[in-house]
Amino acid sequence: MLEVDKLRAGYGAINILWDLSLTIREGQTTVIVGPNGAGKTTLLRAIMGLIKASRGDIRLNGRTTANRATWDIVHDGVIMIPEGRLVFRDMTVEDNLMMGAFPRHCRKGAKQNLAQVYDLFPRLAERRHQAAGSLSGGEAQMVAMGRGLMEEPKVVLIDEPSLGLAPVVVDEIFRIIARLKREGRTIVLVEQNTHRALAVADHVYLMRSGQVALSEPASAVNLDRLHDLYFAAEAAGA
Amino acid sequence: MSELVLQSLYAGLLAGGYYALIALGLTLIFGTMKVINLAHGEMVLLAAYIAYTAESVYGINPVLAIPLAVAAVVLTSVMVYGLVSRIRQDRELNSLILTFGIGIVLTNFVLMVWSADIRSTNVPWFNEPVVIGEAFYSTSAQVLFFLAGLGLTAALWWWLGRSWYGRALRAVASNRNAAMLMGVNPRTTEVISFVIAGLLAGIAGVALYTVAVIHPDLGHNLTIKAFVITVLAGLGSIPGVLVGAMLIGVAEYMTITLASSALQELTGMVMFLLVLFIRPSGLFGSRGRVG
Repeated sequence: MLEVDKLRAGYGAINILWDLSLTIREGQTTVIVGPNGAGKTTLLRAIMGLIKASRGDIRLNGRTTANRATWDIVHDGVIMIPEGRLVFRDMTVEDNLMMGAFPRHCRKGAKQNLAQVYDLFPRLAERRHQAAGSLSGGEAQMVAMGRGLMEEPKVVLIDEPSLGLAPVVVDEIFRIIARLKREGRTIVLVEQNTHRALAVADHVYLMRSGQVALSEPASAVNLDRLHDLYFAAEAAGA
Repeated sequence: MSELVLQSLYAGLLAGGYYALIALGLTLIFGTMKVINLAHGEMVLLAAYIAYTAESVYGINPVLAIPLAVAAVVLTSVMVYGLVSRIRQDRELNSLILTFGIGIVLTNFVLMVWSADIRSTNVPWFNEPVVIGEAFYSTSAQVLFFLAGLGLTAALWWWLGRSWYGRALRAVASNRNAAMLMGVNPRTTEVISFVIAGLLAGIAGVALYTVAVIHPDLGHNLTIKAFVITVLAGLGSIPGVLVGAMLIGVAEYMTITLASSALQELTGMVMFLLVLFIRPSGLFGSRGRVG
């Protein structure tokens, strides 16, 4: 469904991704793990068109997304749930969630989806009129997740949803991810918490210094070996 | 004496509605893009002169000339955005120089086309007295554009708060990248906000022409008035604009009644300074809020 082909991308003169190739299959949950600075977030940003590839290609259903703008990619059903710090801080929780329904095809179901998000996260319903900037880290992450659900995505890219959150909140977040998976959506999950992530994964990629270091079906992954590779990369990078 | 004070209170409030009309467009652009359009006053003035031409040359009532004035000013506003959007870095600062320059060009354009004479409306209806409760005197034009100011402030507030594009505009102001991830094209929302600012400036211009007198170098005075109201309101606060504009209006008319009309402009500036000292974020402002 989504193919990344020898992608090279970065920020200005600093290149992050080095000829990276990977394939995301429809309906599967693909987990990308890797140490800090491996380029996981950069990869998601490149898929969303927030940064341009200097070489290589990204194809969605066989069609290149190279000259497509971020908002067009969103209208095609590929969305990214960025980490919770990227909520609209000076807008209310409800306005944040409603922004998720901005793409034209989502507007009709907006009211219904909003009620559903409040069902999933009762805490957000309590704080609907509060500025998103005044929320705790966990609540902000819930807003980011809820906003993503409002976008009725076919492919969801989720960037480190458990970063810096309390275990109870992490449970809640992973419950939602499991639910998205049951609904048959294609998920790309970038996560540091390998243990939690593997529980929902169909396929696992390990990224290291902007390249794929390991690609295995989740059932074949040996956690010890994965951790060895993970930390070896950090030692090599230091 | 108390009658005079009440009358100036009434006149000040009416003037506030019309001042709000002048300030709204500037506030919208400032609140959502952090761009101060220093050509805003000249855009208002352009609309006023179009209303003048419609009346004096074609005999059309200035109010009926609103669509024409609005069309011209919206076009100008979009052209201003076309230039502002080409700024590659430090847009907040560089747009000041750019729009200041556009203001000078517009002023000279008005001077060339309409000459330096002072103009005002000759349609008697606008100057007909409207007396409320036998005590409060005003003209039809004042009442009409007071109501227009109230209505358009409310409409703009609703639009920013509740409509899809209004919300998207606030989202772009809050976090451009995150807004793009919600499927928003920031340029579309910014063009829309310049179109709306142009629309408001167009209506404000016709109001200016019927309520007061116009001359070509009025533009920067209008920009300053709009800017003072915007800052007084708290940057980007729409209801604050109405309250700020009414405060300025009342203060000016009180000054005229109790002291001298020569001090009218000074009062606004003094209030501006006081607010900056006591409440730098404005009456309704919190840091960075819009809406």
